[in-house]
Amino acid sequence: MANSSFVYVIYIRSPQQKVWDALTKPEFQKQYWFGGHQESSWKKGAEWKMFMPQHGLTDSGEILESDPPNRVVIKWRNEFKPELKSEGYSRCVMELTHETDLTRLTITHTIDKEDAQFIQAVSGGWPRILSSLQSYLETGRAHGDTRTVSEQAHK
Amino acid sequence: MSDYVYATYIYTTAQKVWDAITKPEFAHQYWMHTNVSDWKPGSRWEHQHGDGSGKVLIDGTVLESNSPRRLVMTWTRPDKSKEPSRVTFDIADYAPGLICLTVTHDQLEHDEAMASSISGGWSKVLSNLKSLLETGKAENIWLIKGKEG
Repeated sequence: MANSSFVYVIYIRSPQQKVWDALTKPEFQKQYWFGGHQESSWKKGAEWKMFMPQHGLTDSGEILESDPPNRVVIKWRNEFKPELKSEGYSRCVMELTHETDLTRLTITHTIDKEDAQFIQAVSGGWPRILSSLQSYLETGRAHGDTRTVSEQAHK
Repeated sequence: MSDYVYATYIYTTAQKVWDAITKPEFAHQYWMHTNVSDWKPGSRWEHQHGDGSGKVLIDGTVLESNSPRRLVMTWTRPDKSKEPSRVTFDIADYAPGLICLTVTHDQLEHDEAMASSISGGWSKVLSNLKSLLETGKAENIWLIKGKEG
């Protein structure tokens, strides 16, 4: 089947459990995810929702697989941009492994549609979010202030 | 075969990113290898092993060089057994104090094995570069044994 996918691998000098917590706990997410956070119990079958301060609910779905702190699979649909919402549900796999003081985090985000706008959108978003996460976990300083700056720059 | 693109956002300056790619003593700290050239368009460049042997792992020609913003070069196996691919480094200001470095590795149609090995390599090299520039510390990334991405 024709699909679109985005893959990003990043190595973070941090224990695997800390990376997992940063990905799944709202108090950490708010630090590096440009103020956004997610709500879920992160158990298989649980609801999953993402909120951003400017937009409220932006994405929603369901936890398809969960194996803390190694792997989680999210059924994920955009909820606030009609052109993205109409492309339906994507599948986001987050995988973590740890070796030589580094946690390797792999994001694989896929949708069953060729040249999907949704995948184009997340291809821009993930590198910003994960770079911010790496800075946050390695230095304590995320890129939380950059969203505002860049939005002003693009006005 | 699709192009390989990797973007990373780093608290640093464009000049530091440029130096990290082009100065051997700097590249050695996070890449473990070095890139050697006078970085003028048309010049040869060599990607050398950092173990002191000077062994050439990759070589090629500098196609574009616009310090500290853009560097384009061919990426060739030293035995010339395959057609060269191409690497582009774009170094852009993203927000005050924050640089966006984008590496695009394309023209890989003729070398599937290279396409596979560079996709695992760039994420290690660029994560380690970000760590070095932001924390002053880097790891020996080539000791990581896990499956390639």
